[in-house]
Amino acid sequence: MAQIQLVIVTPEKTTLDQMVDAVTVTLFDGEAGFLPGHAPMIGRLGPGELRARVGSEESRYYVEGGNVQVEDNVVSVLTGQSMSVGEIDLAAAKAELEAAEAEPASNQALAEMKQKAIAQAQAKIRIASKS
Amino acid sequence: MANARALDKRRKSIRNIKKITRTMELIATARFKKAMDRATSASDYTKRITAVVADLARAGLEVSHPLLEAPEETKSATLLVLTGNRGLCGGYNGNAIRLGVKTFEALSNDIENVSLEVSGKRGISGFNFREMSVAESFTNFDDQPLYAEVESIANRYLRAYAEGTLDRLDVTYTKFISVAKQEIVNETLLPLGKIEGAEASGDDSEASGRTSLYEFVPSAESILEEVVPTSFKIKLFKCFLDAAVSEQVARMVAMKSATENANDMIKMLSRTYNRARQSQITGEIMEVIGGVEALEG
Repeated sequence: MAQIQLVIVTPEKTTLDQMVDAVTVTLFDGEAGFLPGHAPMIGRLGPGELRARVGSEESRYYVEGGNVQVEDNVVSVLTGQSMSVGEIDLAAAKAELEAAEAEPASNQALAEMKQKAIAQAQAKIRIASKS
Repeated sequence: MANARALDKRRKSIRNIKKITRTMELIATARFKKAMDRATSASDYTKRITAVVADLARAGLEVSHPLLEAPEETKSATLLVLTGNRGLCGGYNGNAIRLGVKTFEALSNDIENVSLEVSGKRGISGFNFREMSVAESFTNFDDQPLYAEVESIANRYLRAYAEGTLDRLDVTYTKFISVAKQEIVNETLLPLGKIEGAEASGDDSEASGRTSLYEFVPSAESILEEVVPTSFKIKLFKCFLDAAVSEQVARMVAMKSATENANDMIKMLSRTYNRARQSQITGEIMEVIGGVEALEG
């Protein structure tokens, strides 16, 4: 069966490089799935879950945002931070959420940064509590 | 002639020093390899981001972003100097501090409000010694800087830039070119000026002529908005990584020459020691012979 290559890259290292059957990522406005042979695209990611399916097994990762690029049957996810769902520290994520809510939002750029930080923390908590 | 016992003592202590410098050299080598691996794996991300920017440029998108353009007036600037937490690495810290001081003075001439930020204990004490006030200091970066920590610093700069309290950011650090060559440089990170890959469309007119194969979700502009701050963070992270690798190389080289010097010194001392011992023995024999002759006579 045809497979698609999934690469998750963070500035520190390549977190994952694996052949999978299907990938589901969270774009800025909702989830999107990629199967082998997907047309080339570049998408903006939102904070959320990334699911990779191999056979009947599914592994889940948290991805904090960034971009996804699909080309030549390779899905590259470029993100600042990514971790497998089991590694999420729920208490730390809650602390992050509180810190993000306390940030100032006095002009538009600041408000956007605050929104982003809140969304990332919320996504982390949501994914961690789902499992 | 020097005392043979004193010479021997000195030789012993130099041997001990040699053991220490040799060990430090080995540790620095191991750390350098690790730091190097990290720097290499980080370049993967840079490469991909550059590819995305090139694709965006090829799609005919005008690459523009507030971070890329200089503000009308540069009122306040920040200089970040990256040094090590530890010494014993040759001129690494000294050179970074020296260029930092120079850059700081040059910036102060043009811009009224310049603040100084330093990473590394050596740099902090160096600037304190020169009685320059350090606005912010970091000591949490060693041979393996964490992206999360660098990102939080980068976010602070981005925030200040958005607020308008920061118009320019310069970083003084040791750029790693190869194992044999590192260079102290000063780079302006904010405003970014340009991002790599953005000129790609100009170079090959054929590529820009064809329409892009990519589908952009939601739009090329929106992706650019995400990419530009990221590439700033990556650049800053790269500075930290380079500084960390260079520090280990500098320490490796310094400790290597220290070990070699210790070897030379041991050789020299051994020679003097042997001579001193020999003359002492000769003296003793002369005394014995003299004594015997005195008895016989």
